[in-house]
Amino acid sequence: MDPITALLILVCVIVGGLLASLGVHMIPVGGAPAAMGTATGIATGTVQLMFGAALTGLFTASTVATFFETPSPLALVLVALSGAVGAMLMMSFTMLFANMLYVFGAGVVPVSGRVEVDPITKEPQTPYKTPQTDGHGVPNVSYISGWIGAFLGGFGGALMYFVLKNYAFPASLFPELGAVDAEMISAAAAGIAAAGIFVANAILSAYNIGGTIEGFHDPKFKRLPKALISCAVVSALCGLCVIIASWGLMGGGV
Amino acid sequence: MTVPTAPVEEEEKKPEKGWPPTETKLGIIAAVLGIIMTILPFMPSFVKAIGLTFVLVWGADSVRKTSRYGLGTGVPSIGVLAVGYGVIGAIAGMGIAKVGGDFTIGGVEVLNVGVLGGVAIAALIGYISGIFSNSEKFISMKIPGLERGMTELGVAGTLAFLLESSMVAGTLKLDAVLEDVFLSGAIAFMFVMSAIGMFHPFNACLGPDEDRGRTLLLSFEISGLICIILGIVSIALGAEWLGSSSLGLLNAALLILYGIVVWVVFYAKFVRRSFEASYEVVGTGLIKTVK
Repeated sequence: MDPITALLILVCVIVGGLLASLGVHMIPVGGAPAAMGTATGIATGTVQLMFGAALTGLFTASTVATFFETPSPLALVLVALSGAVGAMLMMSFTMLFANMLYVFGAGVVPVSGRVEVDPITKEPQTPYKTPQTDGHGVPNVSYISGWIGAFLGGFGGALMYFVLKNYAFPASLFPELGAVDAEMISAAAAGIAAAGIFVANAILSAYNIGGTIEGFHDPKFKRLPKALISCAVVSALCGLCVIIASWGLMGGGV
Repeated sequence: MTVPTAPVEEEEKKPEKGWPPTETKLGIIAAVLGIIMTILPFMPSFVKAIGLTFVLVWGADSVRKTSRYGLGTGVPSIGVLAVGYGVIGAIAGMGIAKVGGDFTIGGVEVLNVGVLGGVAIAALIGYISGIFSNSEKFISMKIPGLERGMTELGVAGTLAFLLESSMVAGTLKLDAVLEDVFLSGAIAFMFVMSAIGMFHPFNACLGPDEDRGRTLLLSFEISGLICIILGIVSIALGAEWLGSSSLGLLNAALLILYGIVVWVVFYAKFVRRSFEASYEVVGTGLIKTVK
């Protein structure tokens, strides 16, 4: 295997892992308290939300990737951006419908529990918060933070997918299968490997925030550097694994 | 006036003949069985399925011992982490095996030791992420034994993936596995169900009255379900055993039979133990109550 290709895979996997970690810190996750309407965020775990967003991103990214036969910087940017948009769409719909359920179903106002004034719209938050709770629903600042988080996470996932598909498991490695099947194997291997690396990073970051966060205005966001260092090391090891697999698939040798 | 008497404390029930084994004992049994079944890819699927069952039970036990202190993100996260490391470790292991070569007699892959390299790498990644998660300077989760738990989960996830792949593809050659498991889409099913086999038992049973022996029975049951579906997948793909397609159907049929037996036996066992542990079982009238 070409050392430059190996380095490219490693760097892109690390960057993808760091973006996944950054994304997790920005999405509004409420966990179990949010399911009772007593905390800000969407009522599910970080892993489910971020993995769902990243998988939607991988679907859009893999669809866009079929339009490019040879890898180029333009293709890389377009595929990664389409993954980001797919993840943003998934996150937006989830946040919108979570808000509809909170507002029309539970009858609570989307309000942040961590800040007194919304940092973006400057709307007051505390007067609308039910006493003894930690906020409700997905307020404006969390919504925008969730958008940015999903964008970063989807971008990272699609970046990993693009590099793995074109450099680690290229379709040219499976000549005996025919062009269509070779493309599909290449996409499937890249997609599953990217998803595996993505969840590992997302979960380590989720442990860092202790399961719930409101967005970039949450005090827990300051813990970000600790997760970034851990994720960089774990992604580097995962990247090495993918390089070994790809090296084996190419029959060894340099 | 009658004074209500305090409920008589029931005597601690004796565990059934050595079940559950201690955590270390279960880990050693499962790891040895799993590794033996993994490095001998020529064996029929239902024999590998025994290894898969024990590996998933081991994973469920590791999930139990790490997440009973409270992870903050819910139990499923650590099961998904295990399969995340597992899929990466499995493809790395098969890559190493492809370079190292294998022992093939008459077109049948007899011994494949190289995949254990991937198991070792997954263990290393698990250990390092355990250190990062527990360290005061980094994520500081402060869970006793998290390093060991994550190492075991990396190994269990990798072994589960390798065993499932070799059950469906009949070999551990990376290109054959990519064709049979990845191209067919069976990998997505494996990804989700292996995670469920590890995290679901503790996620469903956790609480003050959680009982280790009972929790682990649920993992057996899920491995039975996985075997049934993998058997159906093998039939759909034209299963191979010893490189001859004539034995393929029998191979898959035995796997399905194994799955059904394991599922029924352990489901009944689990329900019986739940009834035994309950104060009283009252039927709603909708379903006939078994007592």
